[in-house]
Amino acid sequence: MNELRAGLADIFEVEPSAITSETALTDLGWDSLAMVSTIALFDELFGKPINIDKLKNCETVADLESMAEEA
Amino acid sequence: MAVGGKAVGARIAAVATHLPSRRLTNETLADDFSGGWSAEKIFEKTGIRERRVVEPGETALDLGHKAAERLLGEAGLSPGQVDFLIFCSQSPDYVLPASACILQERLGLPTNVGAFDFNGGCSGYVYGLALATGLIAAGSARTVLLVTADTYSRFIHERDRSVRTLFGDGAAATLVVADDSGCTIGPFVFGTDGRGAKSLIVEAGGARVARDETTAEPVEDAFGNVRSRDNLLMDGGAVLAFALREVPAVWRALKERAGLDDAAIDLVLLHQANRFMLDALVRKLKLDPDKVPYFFETIGNTVSSSIPFVLEQLIAEGRVGRGNRAALIGFGVGLSWAGCTISF
Repeated sequence: MNELRAGLADIFEVEPSAITSETALTDLGWDSLAMVSTIALFDELFGKPINIDKLKNCETVADLESMAEEA
Repeated sequence: MAVGGKAVGARIAAVATHLPSRRLTNETLADDFSGGWSAEKIFEKTGIRERRVVEPGETALDLGHKAAERLLGEAGLSPGQVDFLIFCSQSPDYVLPASACILQERLGLPTNVGAFDFNGGCSGYVYGLALATGLIAAGSARTVLLVTADTYSRFIHERDRSVRTLFGDGAAATLVVADDSGCTIGPFVFGTDGRGAKSLIVEAGGARVARDETTAEPVEDAFGNVRSRDNLLMDGGAVLAFALREVPAVWRALKERAGLDDAAIDLVLLHQANRFMLDALVRKLKLDPDKVPYFFETIGNTVSSSIPFVLEQLIAEGRVGRGNRAALIGFGVGLSWAGCTISF
């Protein structure tokens, strides 16, 4: 999970401490580019395809973390 | 059913490209997308600083014509020496006739040439090479002029940063000739997944959805990008996921079919989508970055011409000499992908 948060911190260009489970993705600047960056991050970390429809419905970091647990 | 395919005695004798003169810089885009991305952020993420776009009235055929004219001049080839013309574009001048027929006349090619268009996107260059080498293998042609040209800027809404930052207009002409001295093109690998047809699409303007005032109605999406059904839509996430899934499979299949390992391939020429996509693929395929040239900083993603832009540069730098081997992989709109190996 630390790797996921570190990766998200890189994507959103924030300090890792700014990423908590409760953080809303929109507050971090969730846009089309952030979404494709997250797809690439999941691919790199877990080597498996991500469910894009599920990703589009993610609202918080916790939602991404639960997708990571399934991966 | 997928078949084995074979290497054909053929070579790329020359490549010439052409760009429209109008520049679209990141600074202009940053101004247009006020409150969004800065010019530097666009560069950091895409690796692109500027792209070229056509003027009103300038078409893919015009760009392809200029590239082909330059190629014939530089190769010292008279129009009479060409015996087949293939034009690859998704922005033809007319619904019909084929742009290749108009180009035959403009270039002064003899009337006994074969000429046709095909609608190819980011896999189009590799498809074009497959068609050219197929004609050569069948003895139907010995000197094939393959022209790739596109003007996606015509389809892009000015407030859609998801695509306006990436795509640039451009054209390339490639001369593919029969060869019996050991140069080969092929084998090829192809793939298609029409389930992703709507991941990269201009919906209105064809026979299925006619253009009218309703299709021209702009709509803002969840990320603040604006487009109408007349415009290009790209689901970037779906396209990236597709590329990360299929390109590694093409890479493996190509090496298997050609009986080559990584070390035997000197260069891997990927469709020049953008830096983000290529970095992800280089990592995933565990490629030596020195073998994977990038060329998009000053031109963007030129669709079916992106690979020949790289090739022209490599030829100029003397990096593709006799005995070198390259793998080419194109992937995108369709969804469609294709790869081949070339022995120079």
